[in-house]
Amino acid sequence: MISFKSISFLILFCYSLAALLGIAGLILRAHQIKTISCILTALGFLAQTVSLIMGIHGTLTQGLSAGAYLQLIAWFLVLCSLGSWYKFRESTPILFASPLALILFCMSLPYLHSPIILSEKLTPSFYVLHMGALFLSLAILAVAFCTALLFLILEKRIKSKTRMEGFLNDMPALSILDKTNSIAVIVGFPLYTLGIVTGLLWARPVFGTAVSGDPKEVISLFVWGLFAFLFYVRLVKGWRGRKPALLLTGIFLLSVFSIIFVNALFVTHHAFVR
Amino acid sequence: MDFEIYLVGLNYRTASVDIRERFALTEHCTRDSWMLHAEPDIRESVILSTCNRVEILATAKEDITNALLTRWAQTRGRGLNDLLPYVYVHKGLDAVKHLFTVASSLDSMVLGEPQILGQLKTAYRNAVQSNAAGAVLNRMLHKAFSVAKRVRTETAVASSAVSISYAAVELAKRIFGDMREQNAMLIGAGEMAELAATHLLQAGIKQLTVANRTLEKAQNLANQFQGRAIPFEDISEALVTTDIIISSTGSIDPIIRSRDIQKTLRQRKQRPMFFIDIAVPRDIDPDVNALDNVYLYDIDDLKEVVEENLASRRDEASRATRIVSEEVEVFSHWLKSLDIQPTIIDITRRSELIAEEELRRTLKKLGDVDEETREALENLTRSLTRKLNHDPIMFLKRGTMAQEGSASRISIARRMFNLDGRHPSRQLARNHAAHPQNSIHETPPAGCVFTSYPKEST
Repeated sequence: MISFKSISFLILFCYSLAALLGIAGLILRAHQIKTISCILTALGFLAQTVSLIMGIHGTLTQGLSAGAYLQLIAWFLVLCSLGSWYKFRESTPILFASPLALILFCMSLPYLHSPIILSEKLTPSFYVLHMGALFLSLAILAVAFCTALLFLILEKRIKSKTRMEGFLNDMPALSILDKTNSIAVIVGFPLYTLGIVTGLLWARPVFGTAVSGDPKEVISLFVWGLFAFLFYVRLVKGWRGRKPALLLTGIFLLSVFSIIFVNALFVTHHAFVR
Repeated sequence: MDFEIYLVGLNYRTASVDIRERFALTEHCTRDSWMLHAEPDIRESVILSTCNRVEILATAKEDITNALLTRWAQTRGRGLNDLLPYVYVHKGLDAVKHLFTVASSLDSMVLGEPQILGQLKTAYRNAVQSNAAGAVLNRMLHKAFSVAKRVRTETAVASSAVSISYAAVELAKRIFGDMREQNAMLIGAGEMAELAATHLLQAGIKQLTVANRTLEKAQNLANQFQGRAIPFEDISEALVTTDIIISSTGSIDPIIRSRDIQKTLRQRKQRPMFFIDIAVPRDIDPDVNALDNVYLYDIDDLKEVVEENLASRRDEASRATRIVSEEVEVFSHWLKSLDIQPTIIDITRRSELIAEEELRRTLKKLGDVDEETREALENLTRSLTRKLNHDPIMFLKRGTMAQEGSASRISIARRMFNLDGRHPSRQLARNHAAHPQNSIHETPPAGCVFTSYPKEST
């Protein structure tokens, strides 16, 4: 029988080794080491999937703890990086995702066993449509953030005719990074919208009103507005390159601020501690 | 070692191009054992003749440097004194180190260029085909190829572009990635622009358009690159579908301005554009580089890229030299191991003869034995022989690694096993060769590990 301890150890082992090898592969510019890192990340992802399906830490069934929240983000993050690898045959997003997943997973462990008991009025479809959609869009944003950051660094170097050094030489071309960002916006925005809309719908029976001025809701609606603008200029105005990359970076940082500071410090329906 | 490795040659450092032409041996590389026939003392030879170097690698018992150089000079209708001021001579491990350095492209005019390895492989192939390469040069050349591969894999000595045209294409790849979806346009003509166009086509671009003030010239160039020609006036229109633009006209004023490109960008929905301006005075307004999704490199920028890449290759060369030194050390062990081979063969042969004899005696005493027992005894003798020989052979092999060399160890082993004196086992072998009918069996039994059953010697 798989225990919580053993599977957590396996996930930590895979992500740690993947992160170390990924960094080593980037520094040493060794393709084989990078490939091993990607395989280990995929193994860690599989182990985490098993862990989530089996509900080994048991928090998802009772309610969402801060730990489970972080674990889900880690899982979606690796999922998106694997999807990006499948689409573009580029290992770079995985190499960036594995250390992030490791950090999130490590951070999650002390906070797994104090779930917030959610209202009984929330049905299972709430978890899928609200939390699932928002987590997935956040993970997509995280991958897009990495590629946007890379785009900005590489683009600046090419524009200013500065030499590429070390691992930057092995990074994907600007067009691929821009295309990744574009896909992230096209897929991420509808998911984010779905998450927001379902949140508003469920807020009414649970809290008595759809919009209650909750800090998390306010900041999420603001992020949605920026995301909608990015979606519009990407698709309709045909923005490419630096400007959308900058905008996406801002949106992601705001989302991270919303998760880390608003959920943790503000009085909100989404607080980790009540 | 009863032979020495010799390498004589000249290269771009020691001889100017006219001297290199004068002493080129291009046609002699493929001629059947030219150098072997020329000098009977030479055991093996490989001739490398390229535009930047001519080198003859050979093995021989005696010092053949003078003979090699004389023959080389005579072949080209010159005297030895005409050749001597330009040549270098390497012997033994110096020759090995030089060959590894050349194969790794560390001695090339353009550091890290890949052609030299191919040229060396061709030289080796010619030597093999003409039976001029033997055990030592076979091993040495194969080692040189693997050293070159290691240098390329473990260092960045060959990783960045060191020609302006290739640097431009490398930059284009950094912007667009997959070149199969990109269209390029050549504005004007010129050697460097054409070279860049050739590299772009090799990188797999979708289509090349040529624009020139004279449409006929454009057409000729387009035919050369299997592209399409357009009149000079249609450039603005063509820019909408063109991603990479190489410009090299003789125009005094810029032919592409920033405000024109702003309009073009809107038409092409901000898809990125890469301008390579090789013209002096420049054809493209430098302000173009300030626009989003537009990248402009002029000739000075590209030169700077090439200079930086060359500097980076030079930095990497010191790492590559360390790899070469390591591999020379490894090869020197193999060379030393050649000295111990006759002694190893003697030890093995001697113990086999003793084992054969003892087996024969035992089988005689046992009388009729079944096949299974015979096989078991044979296996036992074979296994004992192998295991008893293992340590003495290892003792000899370790001598090739030791600083004092293997000569003293060989001497000890030969005395210990009495390999050079009169020995019963050798007598046995001689007896058997003289009187094979005295063997117990006319033919060895099936499954027998030994090929002869000599009569017992008293």
